[in-house]
Amino acid sequence: MTTTQAPAAPAPAPYGITFPRVLRSEWHKLRTVRSTWITALSAVLLVLGVGVLMGATYTSGGGDSDVDTVVLVLYGSQLSGVCLAVLGILVTAGEYSSGLVRATFAAVPGRLPVLGAKAAVLGAAVFVLCLLTNAAAFLTAQLFLDDTDQAASLTDDGVLGALAGNAAGVTLLALVALGLGAALRSVPGALGAFIGGVVVLPEVLGMLPYDAVDTALRYFPTQAAGVLGSATPLPGAPSAGAALLALALWAAAALAVPALLLRRRDA
Amino acid sequence: MIRAERLTKRYGDRTVVRDLSFTVRPGTVTGFLGPNGAGKSTTLRMILGLDAPTHGSATVDGRSYAAHPAPLTRVGALLDARSFHPGRTAFHHLMALAHTHGIPRSRVEHVLGVAGLSDVAGRRVKGFSLGMGQRLGIAAALLGDPAAVVLDEPVNGLDPEGVLWIRTLLTSLAAEGRTVLVSSHLMSEMALTADRLVVIGRGRLLADTTVADLVRDAGAASVLVVSPEADRLRALLPAPARTSPEGPDTLRVTGVDAPGIGRTAAAHGIELHALTPETASLEQAFMDLTRDSVEYQADRRPEPQGAAA
Repeated sequence: MTTTQAPAAPAPAPYGITFPRVLRSEWHKLRTVRSTWITALSAVLLVLGVGVLMGATYTSGGGDSDVDTVVLVLYGSQLSGVCLAVLGILVTAGEYSSGLVRATFAAVPGRLPVLGAKAAVLGAAVFVLCLLTNAAAFLTAQLFLDDTDQAASLTDDGVLGALAGNAAGVTLLALVALGLGAALRSVPGALGAFIGGVVVLPEVLGMLPYDAVDTALRYFPTQAAGVLGSATPLPGAPSAGAALLALALWAAAALAVPALLLRRRDA
Repeated sequence: MIRAERLTKRYGDRTVVRDLSFTVRPGTVTGFLGPNGAGKSTTLRMILGLDAPTHGSATVDGRSYAAHPAPLTRVGALLDARSFHPGRTAFHHLMALAHTHGIPRSRVEHVLGVAGLSDVAGRRVKGFSLGMGQRLGIAAALLGDPAAVVLDEPVNGLDPEGVLWIRTLLTSLAAEGRTVLVSSHLMSEMALTADRLVVIGRGRLLADTTVADLVRDAGAASVLVVSPEADRLRALLPAPARTSPEGPDTLRVTGVDAPGIGRTAAAHGIELHALTPETASLEQAFMDLTRDSVEYQADRRPEPQGAAA
C-alpha cells in the first residue's frame, strides 16, 4: 500500500516489544498491587507460625516422631501453598475480571510472551520467597528441637534438598493455578478448579480400593509436591526426581492449555 | 492510516459486523458513528487485534496491528470499558504498560500531565470517578506517542470541562498529522470535532462521508411558512411540493424553495408572516440515516388518551 503523505507524526522512538521488557512489565504489575503482598505475607506467616508451633510443642517419641524432620517443620506449607495458588490465579484470571487484559493484549498483541512472562515472574518470586521462608522456618523450629530426636541441621543429608524441594513443589503448584486462571479466565472458577481438582480430588480418589489408583495418585500434583519436601524417602513413593518431573509436567500441561487457546480467543 | 476491508464478525448466528470497509486517513478527525449496538466497539477491537474477524481484515499502516514490532507507537487506544486493576495507582498502571515497549518514566509522567492526572498519579484507580478513569485511558492511549489514536466513546462520563478538553485534544492530535478515529453515538458531539464520518448501523456501513456532505445528502431542507391563509396556499403550491401542518397557521414545505413559495403567495395575493428556510440538522440527518438500524427502538405509539366512556 502506498501512502502519498507519510504521517507527519513524531519520529519513531526506539520503542518496541522484547521479552525482557514484557518480563519487566509483569514484575512491575506483580509488585504494585496489594493482593500480592497480602498473599505473600500470609504464606510466610503460615509457614513460620506452624513451624514454630510444631517445634515448640514437639515431644520426643510422641505421635510425630516417625515424621520426616523437614516435613514436620514445613507442615504450614500445605496452607501457604493455597495462598500462593490464589496469587497465581489473581495474576492471570484477575486481569480478566478487572478488564486490564485488554490493555495488556493491546500492548503485547502476541499474547504468548505475556503468559510466559507471568509464569516466569510468578515462578521466580514464589520460589525465592518459599526458599527463604523454608530456611527461616527450619532454623527457627530447630531452636526448639535441638534436644529432641528431631534435631537436625541444614547440612544433614537431604535437608537442604527437601527445603528447596518443598519450595519447588509450592512454586509448581502455583504455576498450575496460574495456568488454570489463564484457561478459565475467572477467579472463582479457577479457584474452584484448583481446590476441587488439585487439592480435594486426590483425597477422594484415595478412598477407592484399587492399587492402580493409589499408584497413579502418587504422581498427582499435591502428592508429588509432598515427596519433594521430604528429607528422607517416603515409603512407597516415587523418587524425588520422578516426583519433580511429574509435577513439572502437570505445570507444563496447565500452561499449555491457555497457551493454545490464547491466540484464538477474543479478549 | 487505518483500513477495514470487508470486516465481518459473527458470534454464533448473530452477525455484529457485516462486510464493513472504510479507510481512516491521517491528519483528520474521523467520527465513527452509530446507534448503540451498531458494532462500533467490536470493529475497534478488531482493529486492535483483540477480537479476531470472522472474515475480512483490519490493517494499520498496511499490516495487521499485531504484526507491528511496537504497536503502542502505531495505535493508542481507549476502549469502551475500564481496563485497569482497581488496586494499582494510575502511575504504576501506565508504567507497567510502558515497560512492555521500553517507554521511559519521563514519558509516563508527561502523559499523566497531558491528561491532567499528575496530582492523582499516586492514587489507586479504585477511587477514580468515571471521568478520571476516561482520562487515565486517554493517557494510556498517548503513551507510545502513537501515529494513530482510536478512542471509543471518549466523552462518556466527562464533565463539560473534560468534554472541551477532549475536543481540543482530538483537533490538535489531527493537526499534528495523526490519524484520529473516535466512536460516538452522539451526532452532536461529532459535529463539533469530526471532519469525516463513518456511519454504521447493525454492523453495516451506512455512510462514509464528510460532515458537510452528510447534511447536504440528507437533503431534508424545508421551509417554514406562517400565513393566515395557510390552507389556501397549500392548495396552490406547484407540483413537487409536500406540506405538513405545524400549527394553525403554520406549514412545513419541502420540494419547493422559499423564493418559489414567495412567488406563489404574491401571485395570489396571500399574506405571509414568515418564510424561513431550514436545513436539516446533523442530528436529524443521522436519525434519518440510522432509523432502520436502531437496535432498541422506543415504542412511539401515543398513550391511549383517557377514554371517557
